[in-house]
Amino acid sequence: MFKNHLKIAWRSLKKQPFFTFLNTFGLAIGMAGALLIALYIYDELSFDKMFADADRIYRIDSDIKFGGAEMKASEAAAPMAAAMQRDFSQVESTVRFRDRGSLLLRKSGTEANTKELRVTFADSTVFDFFGIDLLVGDAKTALTQPNTLVLTKTAAEKHFGIRNALGQNIILNNTDTYTVTGVIDDLPKNSFLRDHTVFMAMAGYPDSRSDNWGSSNYFTFVKLIPLANIDDFDELLQGMLERYMLPWAQEFFPGMTKESFEASGNYLRYHTMALTDIHLNSNRQSEMSANSSIQNVYILCFIGLFLIVLASVNFMNLSTAYSLKRAKEVGVRKTLGSNKRELIRQFLTESGLISFISLLFALLVTMAVLPFFNELAGKSISMPYTSPIFWVIMVVTTFGLGLFSGSYPAFFMSRFMPVKTLKGGGQSEVGGGRIRNGLVVFQFAISVFLIVSTMVVFQQLKYIQNKDLGFAKDQVLLINDTFAAGNQVKAFKEEVLKLAQVESATISSFLPTPSARSNSSYFKEGAMTQENAIQIQTWDVDHDYLGTLNMDLVAGRNFNREYTGDSTAVIINEATLPVLGVDAQEAIGMKISQDIELDRPQFYEVIGVVKNFHFESLREDIGALGLFLRSSTGNMAIKLKAGDFSNSIATIQALWGKLAPGQPFDYQFMDESFNTTYRSEQRLGEIFIVFTVLSILIACLGLFGLAAFNAQKRTKEIGIRKVLGASTEQITYRLTTDFLKLVGIAVLIALPLGWYAMNKWLEDFSYRIEIAWWVFVLAALLAVLISIVTVSYQSIKAAIVNPVKSLRTE
Amino acid sequence: MIQIQNLKKSFRTEEVETLALNNVNMKIEEGEFAAIMGPSGCGKSTLLNIIGMLDNPTEGSYQFAGHEVGGLKERQRTELRKGNLGFVFQSFNLIDELTVFENVELPLIYLKMKKAERRGKVMTVLERMKIAHREKHFPHQLSGGQQQRVAIARAVVTNPKLILADEPTGNLDSKNGIEVMNLLTELNQEGTTIVMVTHSDRDSHYAHRVINLFDGQIVTESQNRAMGAMM
Repeated sequence: MFKNHLKIAWRSLKKQPFFTFLNTFGLAIGMAGALLIALYIYDELSFDKMFADADRIYRIDSDIKFGGAEMKASEAAAPMAAAMQRDFSQVESTVRFRDRGSLLLRKSGTEANTKELRVTFADSTVFDFFGIDLLVGDAKTALTQPNTLVLTKTAAEKHFGIRNALGQNIILNNTDTYTVTGVIDDLPKNSFLRDHTVFMAMAGYPDSRSDNWGSSNYFTFVKLIPLANIDDFDELLQGMLERYMLPWAQEFFPGMTKESFEASGNYLRYHTMALTDIHLNSNRQSEMSANSSIQNVYILCFIGLFLIVLASVNFMNLSTAYSLKRAKEVGVRKTLGSNKRELIRQFLTESGLISFISLLFALLVTMAVLPFFNELAGKSISMPYTSPIFWVIMVVTTFGLGLFSGSYPAFFMSRFMPVKTLKGGGQSEVGGGRIRNGLVVFQFAISVFLIVSTMVVFQQLKYIQNKDLGFAKDQVLLINDTFAAGNQVKAFKEEVLKLAQVESATISSFLPTPSARSNSSYFKEGAMTQENAIQIQTWDVDHDYLGTLNMDLVAGRNFNREYTGDSTAVIINEATLPVLGVDAQEAIGMKISQDIELDRPQFYEVIGVVKNFHFESLREDIGALGLFLRSSTGNMAIKLKAGDFSNSIATIQALWGKLAPGQPFDYQFMDESFNTTYRSEQRLGEIFIVFTVLSILIACLGLFGLAAFNAQKRTKEIGIRKVLGASTEQITYRLTTDFLKLVGIAVLIALPLGWYAMNKWLEDFSYRIEIAWWVFVLAALLAVLISIVTVSYQSIKAAIVNPVKSLRTE
Repeated sequence: MIQIQNLKKSFRTEEVETLALNNVNMKIEEGEFAAIMGPSGCGKSTLLNIIGMLDNPTEGSYQFAGHEVGGLKERQRTELRKGNLGFVFQSFNLIDELTVFENVELPLIYLKMKKAERRGKVMTVLERMKIAHREKHFPHQLSGGQQQRVAIARAVVTNPKLILADEPTGNLDSKNGIEVMNLLTELNQEGTTIVMVTHSDRDSHYAHRVINLFDGQIVTESQNRAMGAMM
């Protein structure tokens, strides 16, 4: 019987190529879209699960409020790891990382440096802890000695072969010599260590042995023994404040108790974050690698489901519409003894067959677009062809989809009565019109919703990109790692300033672009007690900083070369004013210091207040900040005059090559650097566009098929109308408006939903747009326009047929 | 074989109730060849649908081979139809996607007959209908007469006790029409009961008995003596 079902299914699909194409194509597109999303989500969910005992590994996070500043850190204090190991029997082992950012590396005896972007100090337990095998070297001893390091394969191969890597000397930042004691494979792309290429022995970093409980700078991971209860452990961590942090603090703040600490509104809370949760659920300051968000996973999940449901709905709609042609067959089969169940089975076989054909196309489409999708999503996903589970899931899902899509048409058609269908060879009318219309409304509502969402995401992105950030980011060239030029940095700046293409240049420790920063505690003159601590970021800048970045002062003045006293001056930003409890004018002349423990503290006088500028993502509020006139060698920003930038860059590079031979010239434009902050929003926006287009395409396929069916069904009516004098335009209008009514209802449903959902999304941004009314109008017009184009082809085709032919056909 | 008493069938739309059959009483014996005639809309096809268990009467009794079938559920009617009844339609109603062989085979599949046995039976009946050489053709590749022969083959392949024919020659030219009527007569002579709805006086002469319907009621019944003799 099944063979018979399959045979007739195949033949009836062949007999209606247009219908089969619409159904298969729609399903294939929906499946391909959903498959891509599923692969993406699978990748997102797989983060850090490859590490040994991943389910028992936790990171210690710290929530800190001290001196008016709040911080959600993903790090803990240096002595935390040892204290946990000592105090808690649940702890099996620990490991710490201390991020070093980027470093320049060269093999001893050579001149040319290469830049490694993610370098970290790591405890010697790191490889055993995470179950990372060494390609060469001994995991147990590799990082036990100071000035030793382990490289990843790729990093090692830049300097020497892996086999003879052991024992080689490497010069870091042109100063320190390290010996290579091991090489590991490149770390998995779906791990929190993915970008880290150099692991330096923590033993050579004295701060790691300090008992400083006051600053949290160490990414601290703990592996609990099997069956340890994580809630109990979290509870134990709360005791660390009283046991260690307060006794340590009392050295500097005599008499400080837990009560006085908390009475000032301060807190320090430690808690655990599961290793496998970090990627999607951790959004703290200075994460080891950029994380994603579970919210994006949910959004994509919904979109994936939408696509599948849209494609399924198409299938149901087209199948029931085209069932008119199958009515006779149902009648005959019933007459010959087939019961409802057998008919249902037959139609489900057909939908299953279409589903499996679609799967083949979907796999082909996915294979073809995966490279583009990877680029779009910033991933390196591949199809898991060799995984049996993948195929089982594919087959089961396809089977399920076939059943789901085929269920309504199967039950619908199996209800046809032979007495009605056999006379004259057909069913005079097909029911289910209301359900079909409902499904069209549903499809278009989803499409309109996605159109609104896409427009809002892009408007918000545009708003961010064009927002007055308080500084000018255009035409500013950033040169990173200028410290590599050593004592030539100043000379380099002076040479650069001589160039005709250069307007100005500045060297500073920080720029308003993404970077790892931290707050420091300051105290106002006359209020040098712990309770009055204020948290301010410390940026070292030169005289040209404000000028180069076009920052405005709201009070006071800029640093001036004529005033020698400016070396103890500070320019604060507006956000510091509420922390100090003064207005801009009152702030001028105030003095602040870090040196609470010294008898003669070094004070810095506020000489100016700079207008707030955004240096974090626009998701964050602007924090308190002080610009101090100190020499630094970190980054150089060069404001270029309009003109040929590539020529300017070449000239500056040539200068660099002369003053810092062999050192990498690492540059980027500030606006590009800024845009990377919003890469995840941009990606989300681009992904939205792709899947919105897909969903509209699927909805249009369905509408196109329905319009064709509708025109065919009304052939006789059209013929009669024409005989009675209706024009082609009138008939086209009549056929088209029927569908437009449905699209209109869909628009009415989708717009409020879109408004609600996107307002929720925008709530995450401290600086956000208000959704404009025209977004809704445009989305509605777009939907109407698309449906008119889709439907009118069929309508016009039906309307221009000679009525004699229409009537004869009937 | 068939006994119908006080049978009524009405169709109800939103506002109107139409009485298609009104108090029909009739009896058809085993081996009989009966023709039902009457003008369009008189209820012929409705009566045939009820006799063929495709539809239930609104009122009255319908006994098939001694069993009351008037109030049966659809599934029970389907079961009773299988193997007992064969249908021949004016528009042939062959399934376009199946070959000649597969169309004829279908009722046997529903009877869950084994494949080898099915093949034998189908080929036998196709040969008898002189259409075996077309077994692999699809319906649209056949002439009207050939299609109706396939339809008759499909109707008789299960050796049913009763064949119901709804204007079996309505879509055929006279030559093919005669051929089809001769086939039905042959089957009847071999013992199959036949009930045929027809507009054609000529076809009605093949029947033993002609039942005339008008406005849902049997108005006359007449016996034919020399079946097919005139042809």
